[in-house]
Formats: sequence, structure tokens, C-alpha cells
Amino acid sequence: MNKPTEETTNSETTVAAKTQSPEQNGRRDFMKQTGAILGAAGIMSMVPMGTRAVAWAGGSDAPELKEVKIGFIPLTDCASVVIASTMKFDEKYGIKIIPSKEASWASVRDKVVNGELHAAHVLYGLVYGVHLGIGGPKKDMAVLMSINNNGQGITLSDQLKDKGATTGDKLKKLIETDKRDYTFAQTFPTGTHAMWLYYWLASYGIDPLKDVKNITVPPPQMVANMRVGNMDGFCVGEPWNNRAIADKIGFTAATTQDIWKDHPEKVLGTTAEFAHMYPNTARAMIMAMLEASKYIDVMANRRGVAEIIADKSYINCPVDIINQRMEGQYEDGLGRKWSDPNYMKFYNDGAVNFPYLSDGMWFLTQHKRWGLLKEDPDYLGVAKKINQIDLYKQAASQVKVPIPKDVLRTSKLIDGTVWDGKDPKKYAASFKVRA
Amino acid sequence: MARLLLPFIINRERKLKRILIIDDVRDRAAWLKASLELAEFDVVGILAWEQVDERSIQAAAADVIIVDANAPGRDTLEQISLMSTTLEKPVVVLSARNDQQSIQEAMRAGVSAYVAHTIQSEDLSGIIHVAAARFLEHKRLRDELKEAKSQLVERKLVDRAKGILMADHGYSEPEAYKRMRDMAMSKGKRLAEIAEAIIFAKELSA
Repeated sequence: MNKPTEETTNSETTVAAKTQSPEQNGRRDFMKQTGAILGAAGIMSMVPMGTRAVAWAGGSDAPELKEVKIGFIPLTDCASVVIASTMKFDEKYGIKIIPSKEASWASVRDKVVNGELHAAHVLYGLVYGVHLGIGGPKKDMAVLMSINNNGQGITLSDQLKDKGATTGDKLKKLIETDKRDYTFAQTFPTGTHAMWLYYWLASYGIDPLKDVKNITVPPPQMVANMRVGNMDGFCVGEPWNNRAIADKIGFTAATTQDIWKDHPEKVLGTTAEFAHMYPNTARAMIMAMLEASKYIDVMANRRGVAEIIADKSYINCPVDIINQRMEGQYEDGLGRKWSDPNYMKFYNDGAVNFPYLSDGMWFLTQHKRWGLLKEDPDYLGVAKKINQIDLYKQAASQVKVPIPKDVLRTSKLIDGTVWDGKDPKKYAASFKVRA
Repeated sequence: MARLLLPFIINRERKLKRILIIDDVRDRAAWLKASLELAEFDVVGILAWEQVDERSIQAAAADVIIVDANAPGRDTLEQISLMSTTLEKPVVVLSARNDQQSIQEAMRAGVSAYVAHTIQSEDLSGIIHVAAARFLEHKRLRDELKEAKSQLVERKLVDRAKGILMADHGYSEPEAYKRMRDMAMSKGKRLAEIAEAIIFAKELSA
């Protein structure tokens, strides 16, 4: 074999590649501890869950892994991963989080699936897509917690503004009267932004698969692509919608909190295998991330958080562009300014972080709606398998984070439909515009 | 041993001769192209990521696409191949990491192929061979799953129809089944179609 060239398009990943593989590291630790873990698990499985939560807190809860590599994509909502590490909340729970900047969601997926990353800041829908094998590898997945609500947006190009298409209704009219190819971008076929974009377009009677052309572009490349005229609109997480306004190439036609107030967005995702093999490590990650979430949600801390995540090694974007919308200060690029009470939330007394089964199922209903799933899956069964409610509850109770009573929640979306998670099959089939 | 077998593999794999490289790193793409041509593959094109769209991929008419694991544009390719059923092609993902373990794990996980940049040109042909085989295996498994699902649906139909015949005509189970099978044979229909007809008739009279 030749010497490694280490030539990649992304210098951060080259550095990461040189360090020891966490997989090898983890394996060695695992070999050392297998006996102890299996022994403990064998006995613990006979103890009821409530007692168990207390028992592992009694001293048998040392994380199996000392270091965890968590992947992220440069977006405002990667903050909890970064803050958990830079503010050393991780050390409090006996782990060291190594944030790893990734170039694409496909790469996040592949690396989580093959164990090169232990976990990742990842699109809710992507985790469900991998679990069901939509368009790629199929692997049993796990959602440890939800990272944030709100704070994504739909940007339309200034060319559309010049044609008068400043709202969904006007966009619909333009597409009908001024016939040409309209191109819209999102960030991953099964991801959240694809679903917000499709939902928004469809709520104005625009069929996202037939009336417009659909492409996928990674978040940090979104603005540059719109600048060269590759697209008429996109849906992406902040700070990239605000960046489009600052760069004078587009405007915010809708925030995702307009589409669904307090919608689920990124999750801390891993494989089912990891969650089962390293439950203590998983709990430690959840606890560290919950502390970070609490910290970020204190408004007075947000400026400081924005300064940290603005760095080249994280989002690589000017602080102000990140900070404005993080603090709820919105302007749409059309002259309207407002204080948005539904800005990006990371904690909200724990309401953000609980992995509601209804949130997970919602993405399945949309995958079905748009033909990514050909048949109705066992909605509840899949969500129960993926969302690690028990692990989350154990971790949350340790750090005194309130836990909601119900695993389902009820929300009303932009088109007036109500989603309560009770009849996903009927809900998925109820939309007028669908594949 | 592997070297001796290689020309044989290449000759047998004529179907997978045409390779498209998508890479923004020009000299790497050139190196790959040279390696591939040495191994008697046709490199039908080198695309930069900004050139990638459904049309350019379609136009290249490649059998295998090779991309860099760390390229941001990979998500673009994901969407194109998911949305277009005609573009189902093996994608060889090249990574800077070259330890065997991560490659093996990626392959097991079902990524079409996931191999190091530092491979020698002889290995590359083998890798494409492997990538393609891997891809076909994935497709076969998916097809089998589809098949299994439709068989399950058919069996349920047959069971329901059998139940109707037993309840309405007092046939025993083997008798009901035999009647359906005989009718299927004499009409040249599939058993499931006969079962469906019985169920429809029952629903009509109910």
C-alpha cells in the first residue's frame, strides 16, 4: 500500500482521520469491560425500571467509554454539542465529547452507521430513514434526545421578490402564470428541511414533487448556490437564512415555527447497537447535552454561545448573523422586523428535549405522504424502537429536567391540521397534495 | 494470486466498464482516471460537484460512480439517486481513512463501497468489482423483501377466501383450497386473483 495522502476537500476531517479511531478505542474498552457489563445487565434486567434508575445512580453508572466522537453539521443548532464540550459539561458526567465537523449529511449517516462516529447532531427524519433503509444503508437506529425546536426557515431568491412572489400564495400564482422550471433546495431527501419545504409548498397548493424541481444542497453551500442562480428557494437551518439576507440575495418567506410552532428538528442520534452496548455512556451524553441545552436557553448566555459557535472550526459565520435570530430578533429582508417568541429553543424546561413518539412518527407520516415509504410502516412500533424514552428519562431525572407525562403531544400546523400521533396512518393519507 | 486473477475479473465484468468520477480535487481525479485506464476501464467523465445534476449524471451513462467520502456534494447525489429510479448505480465512496477495519465495517453496514484513496491501481479494479457486487446484493435483498411482502399479502387473501368458502358452503379447508386451486388452473389465473374475486363477490352480496 502507498502512504496515505490525506488529501480531502475538508481539512477538519483530515485532522480527525489522523487521530485514533474511536471505534478501535471503544472496542478495546468494551473488551475490557464486557464481563462486567454483561453481568450487570443480566441481573439488572430482572429489576423493575424505576428501581433500576436509582440503582445505576448508586455507583454502577460509570460510562463504558471515556471519549465519544459526536458529528455535527455547521448550523446554529449544533450549539449543544459544541457547548457540552467547550464548557466541559461532558467532564462532569465522566466523558469527553469530541465534536467532529462533517461535510454532508450522507457522511454523518455513513459514519454513525459504521461506528466511526459514536453519535451525531442529526436531522430527525434522517434517523428514521436509515432505520427503514430509505435510499441507502438500513440499520437499527436510536434517538437519545431531541436537540432543538424551531429556528429553520424558507428563503426565496430576490429574483422571485422582484416578480412579486413574497408569500406562499403569490409564489403559487407566479408558478402558474410565469411558466418555467422552478428549483427548490433542501438538505437531505428524508430530512427535516425537505419535509418543512414540502409541507409549506403543499399548504399553498404547490406540489413539491411535480410543480417544482427539487435538489439537495448541504447547508453551508446553500447561500453560495442561490447566489449563482442554482435555485429559486431553499429550506435550511439558521444561520443560513439570515446569511442570505445579509448577503442581499434572498428573503425569509416563512420561518419553520410559522409552519409548526415548536416543531422537532435535530436529535442526538446513534445506532440501536450503541445505545444497547453503552447505556451509561449514552446517559452521560444525554446529561451533558441537557446541561448545555439549559445553558444555551438562558438568554443572557446566547451572545457568548454565538461567539463560540461562530468560529471557523464550527459554523464559520459572523457572530451577529448567528446571534440575531438566536436571540429572537428577526427581519425578513422585505423590511419587516419582529421579536419572535418562537425562536430556536434548546431546552424550554425540558419540553424541547423529550423524544416524543409523536414527533418521530410525524416524519414517518411525511415519508409515506411523499412516497419515500411505499407502505404504511408500524408507526408506533418504529418510534418506540428508535426513541430511547427509558434512557432519556433516567438521564433527565438525574439532572432534574422535567419529564412530560405523555409520550405523545398535540400540535396544530400551518394548514390547520392537528397532529396528535393517535392515528398516523389516517393522518398520512389525509393530505390533498401528496405523491 | 490476486494479480493473476485480475485480468480474468475485468474481462468477466464488461458490464461495469464505464466509470464516472465526481471530484473537485483535479489531480486526484486525474490519478484515479489513469489508474482506471491502466486497469482497462473507460473513464467516461470527470465532473466537478457543481456540475452534478440529474442531466449530467444521466448523460455520462456510467456503470459506476466514484466519489470522495468527504465531498459536501454527496447529499446532492443522494437526492438524485433516490428520486430517479433509472439512476440506480453503484457509488464507490473514497475516503482518506485507509484502515481495513473501517472499510470492512462500512461494507457490512451496506454502504455500497467505502474504500481508501491510497489504494493501488490493481486494487481499484477489484474494489469496483466489490462495490458493484455489494450494490447488487443490496438491490437483491431489497427485491427479495418486496417479494416476501407481496407473498404475505397473497397468503392473507387466500386464507380469507378459504374462510368464506368454508362458512358459506360448508367445505373443509383442504376442499376449499382444492376448489380455488382447480379454478385458478382452469381459468389460467393466479390463486390470489381467484381469492380476491371470492372476497369481492362476498362483499357484494353482504
